[in-house]
Order: sequence, then structure tokens, then C-alpha cells
Amino acid sequence: MQYSYIKPRSKTIFTKDMQLLFTFFGVTIFMLFSTYSFLIFRDYRFKQDLADISVQKEQLSSSILKMNQQIATIEKQNLMSEKIFTKNSVLKDSINNLFDLIPSRVTLSEAKIMEDGLILYGITPNKDVYNFMLQAPLRSIFHRTYSSFYPVENGWLRFVSTNYIDEEELKDEN
Amino acid sequence: MKINFSKQNIYLLILCIFLLIFVLVFSFAVLIPEGKEYRLKRTELNKESLELRQLSDFSIEKEVILQKLRSDNINVIRAFDAEFNSQRFEKLHRNFFTSLKISKRAKLEDEEGFSVYEVNTTSQISSPKSFYDFLDALNKSSWIISVNFPINFKREGEMISSSFTMRVYNNNKDLNTTK
Repeated sequence: MQYSYIKPRSKTIFTKDMQLLFTFFGVTIFMLFSTYSFLIFRDYRFKQDLADISVQKEQLSSSILKMNQQIATIEKQNLMSEKIFTKNSVLKDSINNLFDLIPSRVTLSEAKIMEDGLILYGITPNKDVYNFMLQAPLRSIFHRTYSSFYPVENGWLRFVSTNYIDEEELKDEN
Repeated sequence: MKINFSKQNIYLLILCIFLLIFVLVFSFAVLIPEGKEYRLKRTELNKESLELRQLSDFSIEKEVILQKLRSDNINVIRAFDAEFNSQRFEKLHRNFFTSLKISKRAKLEDEEGFSVYEVNTTSQISSPKSFYDFLDALNKSSWIISVNFPINFKREGEMISSSFTMRVYNNNKDLNTTK
């Protein structure tokens, strides 16, 4: 027996109101979770970036340290080479000055140049020439000067001039 | 006035309140603290990036200084690295002397962190000028060499025989490596 002429409407839990509600909260929750996921992802990336930066900083620091050591070494080498080159140049000038000091009338046969002294062997026509022309300038340079003479066959004198610089006196002068 | 709520509307309201509470709790308990942490970490990352950039700039600056020092002092660096070779030395400096002989080398104590070797030299020169030229040439040679006392000059006929010691300075391999 039929009581109505229309077909019965199918009942559903997803009514219009429910659909609207789920759509609204669905979108809201999706946005919340998306934001949360974004933050979690960024947090992960930050950690990675910080670790990378930390490694790079460590590498740069060690590289800077190494370069500083190399710079110090080169500066040390440069300083040392300058010192040695100056020493060689001073030595050259000293020897040059020494040979310039020898008067033409005195003939040198041997010269021993030491760090704190000078020994000269040679021949001189007489003591006066030696004393005035060689010993006088030597005395002005060295603190102690000793001379000894030996006659040779032609009447000239063979001399040995020993001259020393006293380190202590040199320090006092400075 | 009496308001009639259908059962369905009450369920809807409860669900709505529940979801709203969830959204609020999630936002305030999770999302906002996470956002604050994100902001802090971003600031920290920016700070670290800035420090890295400064360090990188400093490193480049140092590199430039090092390269300049290297190029300015390349001869000195090579000379300190070069192993002394007496045959090559004789060959290079023979023209200053009539004869030149380098004797066996002896290791001395390190000086200012550099290895020092001493070599004895006996030679014959025609005039002191040759010796001055030799000293000038030493400062441009492939090694770092200083001429040391005692220096002996002895007249032998028309020639001057000279004997002196030379000190060759090398990098101490443990301390001074510039490569």
C-alpha cells in the first residue's frame, strides 16, 4: 500500500550544513598543517644550513690560520734574507775599506779578517811609514793594536799587525 | 519564547565547537611557538651567514696579502727551499775566481728556526774586486748564503788565495713550510 506519491528522500549525514562546516574547517586545518609543515621543513633546513655554515667557518678559520702561519714564515724568511744580504754587503764594504786603508808604500802579504779582529802581514820600508800611514788609522778603528817587526834582506821591515775590537768596550760605546 | 534546537543542530554545534577548540589549541600550543622558534632561527642563521661572509672576506684579504708577499719574495722563498748543491754553486760562481773549491758541508745548530750548513771555501782571485763582485752575486744567488769569518787573504805571486766559510740557510722542514 502506498501512502505517498513522491519517492522517499535518501537521508544522509552530509547535509548542506555539515558540508559547509567540513569545508570551512577542512580548509582551516589544511592551512594550519601546511604552515606547520612549512615551519618544520624550514627548521630542518635551518639546522642543515647552520651545520654547513659551521663547517665552512671551521674550514675558513683553519685556512686563515694556515695563511697567517705562511705569512709569518715568509716575513721571517724575508727578514732573515735581508739580514744576511746586509751582512754580506757590510762585509764587502769592510774589506773594501780595509784594502783602501793600506798605503801604497806598504805591501800586504796576508790578511786574516776575524769577527773581532784583524791580523795583517806585510812589508814596509820603515817603521815611520807603517806607524803614520797604517797603524794610526788602525788604532782609530780597533781598541787594541799590537805590531812586531822583523828586518828583511833588502833593508825593509816585515811586520805583523794584530788588532782587536773589545766587545765590552763596543757595548759601552753603544 | 522557546527555542527549539533539533538534535542534528546540536550535534553540528558540538562538532563546530570541538573543531574550533582544536584549531585554537593547535594554533596557540604548536603553531605560534614553532613560528617564534622559526623567527629566532632565521635571525641566528642571518647572523651566522653574516659572520661567514665577514670571515670569507677576511680570508680573501689574507689570500691577497699572502699572494702578494709570495710574488714579492718568490726568489727568497725558492732560495730558502733550495737544497745547496756545491757543484752547481761552483759552476755558477766560477767566473769570479781563478779557482774555486767548496769542501764538505757540516750541519750547524739551527738559527732563528732555519737549518744552517757551513761550507768551507778555498779560492784564488786576481784582485779584491772579484771578491766584491762575488759577494754581490751571493745576494742574488739561488741560495741564502752568508760569508762568515774568518776570511784569509794571502798573496801568492800575482794571485790572492782566499779561504773563508759560508753559511747556507735552509728552511727547517718542520717549521718553515710555505707551500
